[in-house]
Amino acid sequence: MRPRPALSGWFRQGALCAVALVWLFPYLWMGLTSLKPLAEIISAPTALWPKQPTLDAYREVFRSLPLARYFFNTSVMALGIAALQITLALPAGYALAKLRFRGKRWAFGVIVATLLVPAQVRFVPVFSLLASVGLVNTLSGLILPFGVSALGTFLVRQALLSVPDAQIEAARIDGASELYIVYRLLAPLLKPTLISLFLFSFVSHWNDYFWPLVLTTDEHARTLPLAIALLREQGTGVRWHLVMAGNVILSLPALAVFAAAQRHLLRAINVRGFGG
Amino acid sequence: MIPRREFLRASAVAGGSVLGACALDAVPKGRTPVSLWFSYGGTNREVLESLVQRFNRGQTRDFVQAVYQGDYFEGLAKLRTAIAARCAPVLSHVVSEVIPYLAEAGVLEPLADYPGLRELDLIPELGQERTWASGGARPLCALPFNRSTPIAYLNGDLFAQAGLDAPRDWDELRAVAKRLTERKAGGRFGFGCPINWWFWVALVGQAGGSIVAANGRVSLGDEAGVRALRLWQELVRGGLMKLPPGRDYNAWEQCNQDFLSGRAAMIWSSTAFLKYLEAHARFRLIAAPLPAGVKRAVPTGGTFWVVLRSAPSAEKAAAVRFLRFMHEPEQVITWSTRTGYIPVTHGAVRALEQRGYYAAHPNDRVALEQLSVAEPWPWSVDLFRIQREIVQPRLESAVIQQRDASAILTEARALALEPA
Amino acid sequence: MKPSRPGDPYWMLLPTLLLLFVFFVFPLGMLIEHSLFSWDLLTPARYVGLGNYRSLLHSGELWQTFSTTLSMSTVVVLGSMAAGLGLALLLDRPGRWAAFVRSAVFSAYVVSWVSVGLLFLWLLDADSGIFAGVWRTFSNGRAPQWLADPALAPWAVAAVTIWKITGYALVIFLSGLQDVPPTILEAAELDGASPRQRFASVTWPLLRPTTLFVATTSLIASFQLFDVVRVMTQGGPVRSTTVFVYAIYEQLFLDLRVGRASAEAVVFFAILLLLTGAQFVLFRNPEGL
Repeated sequence: MRPRPALSGWFRQGALCAVALVWLFPYLWMGLTSLKPLAEIISAPTALWPKQPTLDAYREVFRSLPLARYFFNTSVMALGIAALQITLALPAGYALAKLRFRGKRWAFGVIVATLLVPAQVRFVPVFSLLASVGLVNTLSGLILPFGVSALGTFLVRQALLSVPDAQIEAARIDGASELYIVYRLLAPLLKPTLISLFLFSFVSHWNDYFWPLVLTTDEHARTLPLAIALLREQGTGVRWHLVMAGNVILSLPALAVFAAAQRHLLRAINVRGFGG
Repeated sequence: MIPRREFLRASAVAGGSVLGACALDAVPKGRTPVSLWFSYGGTNREVLESLVQRFNRGQTRDFVQAVYQGDYFEGLAKLRTAIAARCAPVLSHVVSEVIPYLAEAGVLEPLADYPGLRELDLIPELGQERTWASGGARPLCALPFNRSTPIAYLNGDLFAQAGLDAPRDWDELRAVAKRLTERKAGGRFGFGCPINWWFWVALVGQAGGSIVAANGRVSLGDEAGVRALRLWQELVRGGLMKLPPGRDYNAWEQCNQDFLSGRAAMIWSSTAFLKYLEAHARFRLIAAPLPAGVKRAVPTGGTFWVVLRSAPSAEKAAAVRFLRFMHEPEQVITWSTRTGYIPVTHGAVRALEQRGYYAAHPNDRVALEQLSVAEPWPWSVDLFRIQREIVQPRLESAVIQQRDASAILTEARALALEPA
Repeated sequence: MKPSRPGDPYWMLLPTLLLLFVFFVFPLGMLIEHSLFSWDLLTPARYVGLGNYRSLLHSGELWQTFSTTLSMSTVVVLGSMAAGLGLALLLDRPGRWAAFVRSAVFSAYVVSWVSVGLLFLWLLDADSGIFAGVWRTFSNGRAPQWLADPALAPWAVAAVTIWKITGYALVIFLSGLQDVPPTILEAAELDGASPRQRFASVTWPLLRPTTLFVATTSLIASFQLFDVVRVMTQGGPVRSTTVFVYAIYEQLFLDLRVGRASAEAVVFFAILLLLTGAQFVLFRNPEGL
């Protein structure tokens, strides 16, 4: 393969182990704490292994929260956002990559600028707006504000830059409409990029806490991260075993998606250079 | 406004059915819905929800839908935003410091004319009447829900071992803390307390001052305020008092953990934690009233029920019926015995006495008896903001960084005078 | 390419720009408007012109928030980049073990901030956390109060953030390393260059555009830190971890000052705009600076 700086075998192995430990140990701790009874956590918090491992925490979490509903809501929301982002990123990325038109720079600039306005800052006006059209506590209210992905638009654009113009010209000559070109011709070419984008978006919105918290005032529309927050008490003592169990339950789907599709996820954030 | 509410509810139901939510929590036909926004997780949430279910099952006229909205601050922010966006619920509960602000803003429904509310035999120190100065003279707009006072928790085993009793004044507090502090690295502290406005106000009262002077000037206790702050500084400097990390409720949780694990022999905390501490202490738990400075004094805390003026009349009437239900002795007893908050009606207290509850649970009596020295809050619209923005950070800074107490309070007083 | 119809680019961008307008530009406009008033959402707003901005400036709050955010962000960016580059060099090899470790590092990026914050809150506890336990076995005495000491808290939070986002830098550096032509490195080896020399004179210069990209995007993202602060320290102790977005959240949610929060948000946006502008200027010229 490629030549690389030579490190002694032992040092390298040791370094790899240390790295793995640093990054896996916290999960291990989270999982182990979730298996301990609360009394044990309070009395011997630094002990690693549970003396009396129990699944009580998980039973309690499942009992006290309608997890299935939250799971469903979160999945539908995350899927909806990812799907909408792809649908919009394709034509937008195509226009930015392939077409000459006035105002291109501005469009570009606006899309980038939106990366700079986090949700906590936009909350009041957006909530008022959505409330006035009756979209609070609805799926649309959770999805629409995230319908555009700046990252996705740039990824599509980047990928399309390497598609030869000739191919598109040929399709046009054959009578294909621009819509057809974007969705039926180019999209399949971009499959790896789109899959990466989809997965990346899904995972990051799965975990979102702030926006669903402030935008839903009704149980029906709640998402999983909020449910886990319910476990953390205020006004009485913390039941750490439940909090940890809840966090394990919250993290597992994201980790599972990641494990199944790492290759694509890693590729999604692997875009270098917005310019050029 | 009503069409919009219908529209909102319609989309919520539509959205709900799109999301496949089951009809479990949908309002049964013919009943008046009461939307209740609450801010508890954990045990308190479970107890509240069980009481709501009890109400819903016990009658067929109304239906309460209780929804969690985040912690006190998130819930309050959502409430205000919802009021501004005209989609507020009909019923919620808010911390006592915020009530004057909401009342003066005109968003709370006056409750005096609703049937049955004036006859609730509330304990006056816990109701609007004595929670705020001249509270009784103002239109009734809030009913007590979970009410508490600060109390001291003692590690009974350690105290018995050292032959000590609960400190009755500041000098005894210093002495006890000193006796129980282990002078070694990683050793136990004699005393622990969250650096929080609430406890500081208690100290100010005990030092003989009050946060707002009689003429309305925000005095922050003047001399008494400085003395109160200096007590903390002295205890921390002397290594007798443990500072919990984190702010707000994180600090309180940490303080409880310190106590339970034996790292602090005595802490100040809220009566709200009584059940939790009793359940998890592996030593004998003794609750005790706070000591006196030149006198005994404690503030009250917790939240009040409020009905929002913007809701339709039918819903408001239903909300009031729910509140009457919640103030019946059985419900008050369920709430306070399962959570540790103080029962808010005389009827409930009498019933508990008769059942021998206080004889069997002497710790529960402490907060109740402390009510005789409870101090009212000033009816001040700005107090909430002044407390959070100006005073609390300076208390932390004074104790953690040992800055001069007098200078810092003078600074705070000057800032409190500036308009919002 | 010329569009086949002149209107094409515009309707292609329309949904995107429409959504952006409604959910970003319009709120930003409202923010600017709100920043000129003193408002608490319930009572009528009072016009104060630039009063909010003046107050933020004079109280020293703006400067403190800015310097806290800048210093924490700098540590986070430098730390995660150094760790990312180091790990990329270490893990740029075939084999299941390396692949496993790569995934482990990146998996932290996938888990929610709230989970990570809560977990480390527990782990970093000065009395019952595992780090404190380890500290006590090696030294006598109290473990440092990582989250309760104003001098240590920002770095503790920064360390947790680095743990979580190093995966991002790792992945980007890995792909950057793939682009270094092996022939050049082989030639350098044949010329007798040591591994360190090969890195310094071949790899590092070729990585510069990658480095720049990671640096700027990480900086923008880390300037927007919020959840980790909210969960672990709530901006304290003594405001030592109050970063920009948390400060805005606090003004809005906790202090009920919509006008002032909006002013702070506008300033924040302006600062980030400057940072992004800087990025574009730098990228015009990836070869040199």
